[in-house]
Amino acid sequence: MIFFKDCKRIARSMTYLIYCVIVALFFFTQYFSDCRTEVGPPFGETKAVEDHDLIMSGAALSLAEDYFANLYICYPFGFYKSVTLNEKKQEVIEDALTEMTGLSMEELTKLRDNAEHYTSYDGLHEYNGYIIDSVPVSSSLTYDRFLEIMKKVNKTLGGGSSYKPDDLIFKFSQVPMTKEEALEEYDNFTNKDRVTGALARLFSDYTGIDAAILPVFVAAALTSEDRRRRMSDLVYSRKISSFRLVFTRYAALITAMFLPLLITMIIAQIQAVSIYGSNISMTALFTLPSFWLVPNIMEAAAVGMLFTELFSGGTAVIVQFLSWFLSLLTGSGQLYGKIRSFTLICRHNTVFGRDIFMTYHSQFVFNRIFYIVFSLAMVTLTVFVYETKRRGAFNGIRLFGKGSLLRRKA
Amino acid sequence: MNDCIIIKNVDKFYGKKQALSDISLTIEKGMFGLLGRNGAGKTTLMKTLAALHKKNSGEITVCGVPVENASEIRAMTGYLPQEFSMYPNMRTDEALDYLGALSGMPSKLRKERVESLLKRVNLTEHRRKKVKELSGGMKRRLGIAQAIIHDPKVLIVDEPTAGLDPEERIRFRNLLCELAEDRIVLLSTHIVGDVEATCEKIAVMDSGRILWKGTVSELIENARGHVYTANVEKRFLPQLKKEYIVTGMLAQNDYTTVRIVSDPEPDLPNTVQTEPDLEGAYMYCLHSSGCDVTGGEDI
Repeated sequence: MIFFKDCKRIARSMTYLIYCVIVALFFFTQYFSDCRTEVGPPFGETKAVEDHDLIMSGAALSLAEDYFANLYICYPFGFYKSVTLNEKKQEVIEDALTEMTGLSMEELTKLRDNAEHYTSYDGLHEYNGYIIDSVPVSSSLTYDRFLEIMKKVNKTLGGGSSYKPDDLIFKFSQVPMTKEEALEEYDNFTNKDRVTGALARLFSDYTGIDAAILPVFVAAALTSEDRRRRMSDLVYSRKISSFRLVFTRYAALITAMFLPLLITMIIAQIQAVSIYGSNISMTALFTLPSFWLVPNIMEAAAVGMLFTELFSGGTAVIVQFLSWFLSLLTGSGQLYGKIRSFTLICRHNTVFGRDIFMTYHSQFVFNRIFYIVFSLAMVTLTVFVYETKRRGAFNGIRLFGKGSLLRRKA
Repeated sequence: MNDCIIIKNVDKFYGKKQALSDISLTIEKGMFGLLGRNGAGKTTLMKTLAALHKKNSGEITVCGVPVENASEIRAMTGYLPQEFSMYPNMRTDEALDYLGALSGMPSKLRKERVESLLKRVNLTEHRRKKVKELSGGMKRRLGIAQAIIHDPKVLIVDEPTAGLDPEERIRFRNLLCELAEDRIVLLSTHIVGDVEATCEKIAVMDSGRILWKGTVSELIENARGHVYTANVEKRFLPQLKKEYIVTGMLAQNDYTTVRIVSDPEPDLPNTVQTEPDLEGAYMYCLHSSGCDVTGGEDI
């Protein structure tokens, strides 16, 4: 069967060997070392709760302080940016503040005058900052209206601000866990998650980072091999259909790249049994990570195949690296909690927080299915490109190197 | 006409450059040689027949199947490209088996064919060797084995003997002749000796055009009366090569006996008209078609 032959071919390649080594290194230095000791109840930690009053008062206070300092810290696409608004845009914030607090600007200014004053320096400018004790929240303000205001504020700030509606709960609604809550979290860990359910989320969090980038190297190397070995015509002239050839190679790539992850899952399971005994779930460390990580492998491999056929292996790596980097950066402030519908790398960097994970479970499922469908669509497009090349109607576009498109234009 | 390749008025362009110009040919079962200089358009024509290139106009049918029907063409065609190479870390038998699998052959049949083909191309004892460990000749033999593993009706071989030593070349040519007993074998080459030893029917190509088509003997006959031998002093050789098409030189003491292809009889002492050979006939064909072949170029 071509599938097994291609698996063997992948397994013999240097790129795959390097892939296996990096996966192993990541696993042992991150997850394995983090989980060496038994987990206890999370006393003293905080948790995010969906408390609308807490969110509104926290956001109003933060916005008032930012407004008077005219310094808003934002992370558009994950990059740090300090924003200073012009007069017109400050008026938008003024309107938001007065509506949220029910206070006039004069009343708000009085609050500022009574606040503790400090100066800060961001390397370029000096700012006047204020530590205001509290600001009221208008009794007539509904939570829906509040979200609309926040959306407008975030837009005025250029996006990526603390007032982004999706992030409000994590920014302004963190409360210390009570002892009971800490014990409840621990109960979730031991009973609902049966230990490995929680470990599976942590395992997937760590492994998801490398599973979203490393496969592109293996896929690009395999896809470009026929061309590198000058045997494209030899393969093109065979009877096999382009659909079958491309999808078989894709399946071989996914299988080969999942195998090292499966081995690390087995090691993680053995580690969990050795620490917590055998009264834990024996399947969770396999099922959840598979559903979590396979879409990452599929996406990276599909990008590797499509862009290598269209341009070159180097282009495929650059494209995947950019999407991987942006996904990491946009999620950099939030290591667990909400999983966005289209984020490439899903994070949950804790063994606790089962409830919050389950709150966004449907979005998580949507996210993973989206990436499976998206990957299959890319592979289908690869089939089309491959067949076009096979018939001699297209020869790929070279972006780099001698005679490339960019060099010709330059 | 279902055992023929029929090519009618085919044109092919690479951008603005015309690679094939109004090509018309009928190729029947047996060996057919496509002779031409490097860059004549042979590989382009071969690839177009193997559905690897798109023609811009004209018609091609391979055993009754239009070349546009790529999947059927691929199923009935075996192709040995000019530069045959394989995954270097695969074993010889594995490589053959892999390409057989890509040709859609079932496992059992593949196993039988790999065995018999390795034997046929004298590679049985090298079957465990990696492809990168094979010599040039062995690789070519592996190349021909992969091209016929699925028992194609048409075998297209592009410059298969280039770089082979004489023994390997003879062995390879004999193998091609055996294969041509029950299929069309289209041999493209710039080595006249290969065509002479294997093909009855040939076409001569240059600059994307067919200059001549017919049998080898007809081509030779065409050159009759235009091939001469002469004994000349060695010092005149450079001048002679500039003025005439010299197809052979035999050095003897102070003189050199030269074979010359020329339309009018050369104005040289001791000139004798002689029997044309295929090399001379080919050169005459190029010359009479307006191609520049003087200057002592190698043939």
